Amino acid sequence: MAEKNTALVQGTLDMLILKTLALESMHAHGIGLRIEQISQGVFQVNPGSLFPAFKRLERAGWVNSEWRATENNRRAKYYVLTASGRKQLKSETRDWKTQSVAIARILEA
Amino acid sequence: MNVFRSFTAGLKELLRRDKTESELNEELNAYLQNAADAKVQAGATPEEALRSARLEMGGMESVKHQVRTAGWESALEVFAQDVRYGVRILLKSPLFTAVALTTIAIGIGANTAMFSLVDAILLRPLPYPDPQRLIVVGTHQRDESGMSAMGTADFLAWRDHQHSFEQVAVLDGAGSSFALSGMGAPEQIPGVGVSANFFSIFGVAPLKGRGFNPGEDLPGAPGVVVISEQFWRDHLGSDPEVLNRTLTLNGKQHTIVGVMPAGFRFPSRRPVDVWAIHTLNPPTSRPPYGLIALGRLKPGISIRQAEAELDQIAAQVTAQFPSSQELVGVMMPMKEWMVRDFSTALLVLLGAIGLLLLIAVVNVANLLLARATARQREVAVRMALGASRKRVVRQLLTESAVLSLLGGVLGLLLAWLAVRAFLAFGPGQMPRLNEVGINSGVLLFTFVICVGSGILFGLAPAIEISRPSLADPLKDTTRSSSPASAHRTHRALLVFEVALSLLLMIGSGLLIRSFVRLSDVNPGVQADHVITAAISLPNKYAEPQIQQFWQQFLEKAGALPGVKAAGITMSLPPNLLEITNPFTVEGQGYDRHRQSQLAEEMSVSPDYFRALGIPLMKGRFFSPSDRVAGEKDPMIVIINETMARQYFKGKDPIGRRIQTGDPDPKSPWETIVGVVGDVKYSGLDSAPGPTIYVPYNENAWAGWAREMYLVVRSTGNAPDLVPAIRTQLASMDSTLPLAQVHTMEELLDESLVQQRFRTWLISGFAALSLLLSAIGLYALISYSVSQRTREIGVRVALGAQRSNVLGMVLKEGLQLLMFGLLLGLVGAFSATRIMRSLLYSTSATDALSFIATSLTLVAVALLACYIPARRATKVDPMVALRYE
Repeated sequence: MAEKNTALVQGTLDMLILKTLALESMHAHGIGLRIEQISQGVFQVNPGSLFPAFKRLERAGWVNSEWRATENNRRAKYYVLTASGRKQLKSETRDWKTQSVAIARILEA
Repeated sequence: MNVFRSFTAGLKELLRRDKTESELNEELNAYLQNAADAKVQAGATPEEALRSARLEMGGMESVKHQVRTAGWESALEVFAQDVRYGVRILLKSPLFTAVALTTIAIGIGANTAMFSLVDAILLRPLPYPDPQRLIVVGTHQRDESGMSAMGTADFLAWRDHQHSFEQVAVLDGAGSSFALSGMGAPEQIPGVGVSANFFSIFGVAPLKGRGFNPGEDLPGAPGVVVISEQFWRDHLGSDPEVLNRTLTLNGKQHTIVGVMPAGFRFPSRRPVDVWAIHTLNPPTSRPPYGLIALGRLKPGISIRQAEAELDQIAAQVTAQFPSSQELVGVMMPMKEWMVRDFSTALLVLLGAIGLLLLIAVVNVANLLLARATARQREVAVRMALGASRKRVVRQLLTESAVLSLLGGVLGLLLAWLAVRAFLAFGPGQMPRLNEVGINSGVLLFTFVICVGSGILFGLAPAIEISRPSLADPLKDTTRSSSPASAHRTHRALLVFEVALSLLLMIGSGLLIRSFVRLSDVNPGVQADHVITAAISLPNKYAEPQIQQFWQQFLEKAGALPGVKAAGITMSLPPNLLEITNPFTVEGQGYDRHRQSQLAEEMSVSPDYFRALGIPLMKGRFFSPSDRVAGEKDPMIVIINETMARQYFKGKDPIGRRIQTGDPDPKSPWETIVGVVGDVKYSGLDSAPGPTIYVPYNENAWAGWAREMYLVVRSTGNAPDLVPAIRTQLASMDSTLPLAQVHTMEELLDESLVQQRFRTWLISGFAALSLLLSAIGLYALISYSVSQRTREIGVRVALGAQRSNVLGMVLKEGLQLLMFGLLLGLVGAFSATRIMRSLLYSTSATDALSFIATSLTLVAVALLACYIPARRATKVDPMVALRYE
């Protein structure tokens, strides 16, 4: 595993999950896949980080979960963004943008 | 994050463990299926797809573990697991557990008990509203220290002119007692005379009735009295109709107007049954000084300001009585005044007991450390299996916390017993004892020292054992050798332990030496075969009758069979001194700025000296044929040796004259007729000072003769005389009680109760600490010998003699001992200074105490080392080499 290239910046996984769920509710595997696809393979999320993150987000009240049938007619737990989760995503995105612009400026200086 | 939501979610998961687990299982399986489905769509066969999905997922258990530990509740679970494990480990080695638990329980129990005393007596505020504004007030000379009583003139002037206090009250400093008659046999009950506003200063409501009303302390007002809850219970059967009943005190009717609740006790050193009115008559002179004044400061006024005001008022009083000495005010917060000579002793005891706890902690730490090396393999296995160091330390600390908390529970039980025992058998004359108990503050203290000592004795072994050196203990399958660093910690702890116990032992050595000196003090009397009692004559005896009464009584008592001599006196050794008085020797001059020159002064009957066995040095005793002083006959006095030596320097004092009272050329002259030996009237530990005896039937002293101590010397067993004396007294006046009956030996003994108690207590701690240190040394050397069995075997095989082996092992113990001694001596030199005020004619660095205790420690420690060292010499080389 080429961990170094695919490791997420500390603390950003929660934000990425929220962002993924902002488009549509999804099950665990789907979320992992979506993050991998959109990042064009830069980020790979393993279940060992994914599932603890769900627990954290649920505890915080930012996502809810429900059991549904998948497109392949299997049962899976779907995660749904809540209103407070949407608010959280907004503020985290804003913070992230400010920070990344600042970091970019420092690196280019 | 929403803490509440997280809390409830965690709680829910803890309670529905199985459901959460199965849901997690289901979800992870679904994930696996989804991943496999995706791979099938991408063209893999179903088997291949499932296999690679499993591979990508990694260990299912590890994922589950990560999810579980994401919430706070997992920490709780780990803790519960550690506690279970810890208890199991403790149960597996019952001997170790018993020794460790006993050590901790004693340490924590003793500390809790002592703290509950310190808390009640020193720390907690007085149980009255705004206690910090309650002040005790007196006057003294400018260069004097401490609190002194006030005179009536000063008090009245201060009461009428001060502006610093909301209210001021006064109580009779002699803290007298009252003769209660008319309720069965007459008896003497403890009580105190106070001014009418005494109770309103405290702001405590009576249980029943009222306090005194203004005006009830004016001359001529009808007699009223307030009683204690205990007196109401014990003497009046908790009669609900107690108000307006009457008590006959000192022969006079008093109406009960109130009952104070059980928590109210002032003055607080001994029980008070009744508070009666102390009437202040307009003073004709400034002395005597016998009042204790109290006040409630106005908010925002400092003690210094109030003192300055009193200084000014006292200066005016001095101007009013020009022959009196210059006095200034002295004020003290009431709590400080109540605990005055107890705080040092209590704090020293608390410190000593804290040292004992530290020693106990060190011992347990060493026990754990020795055991930890034996558990090295277990820990190494756990770390090899992936436990982090943090996790291992945490688990070991949990184990020691379990140990200390169990010890704490036992300790609390011990403390409860100790406090009950102390209240029942300890020295009773301490302030605020009625407030002592184990309350929430004490419990918190116990909990904190429990957790603190648990961490202290757990930390060193935990860090030692979890040192990341996996390979060694795993490789080494037969021998569990301790790493050098563990041994170092072990030894450093022991040095510390030896030092601490030396400190405690020196402290107790000093107290013992001081106590021995104090018990050896010659009280100046022959205490054997002497019985003493107090008799006080009520107001119905006018002054001439008082003298007649005593004369008759002494004649009859002296003639009783078995009585060698019977006398009366105002003051009794060792600490029942009533008054001191300034005096002037003929030819000294009358400068009132002269350094105060005070003598203990008391009136006595002629046979008093013979009854108490006070030796005559020169001249003569008083005689029944001495005529009362008048125009022709001068007043006569007897002085003690110290006074003769200090003021008549080698010249014969017989026939010389003195004056007593404030320096005044107009005072009457008194002629010295005799010199007697020194007697300790103000405590065995007090320095000898001048004493003046006057005949009790001198007119000027008639008023003082109302309350006298009876002293009777018997030819046989002194207490056997008591019934005859009682009958004698009753035959003259059946309402008079014979109070405070004690033998002289008892009085001397009782005066040392406090000193004896604290000496015993500290010596007990010191003995315990010596025992603990000896056990610690013994354990270390035994352990070290067992570790070196093989080495010793090799040495013996190569020709080492027994004495070589013995020396080698002893050397290790001796080194520790020497370091410990050195450290302890240095500590003691600086620490014993705080005990100075507790020591009687013993220096805080008394060489004998230091040397004797050090030698004791060395002897015991050597014995503790010698036993295991001797075992080492018996090592059979063949057995030792095969031991591997």
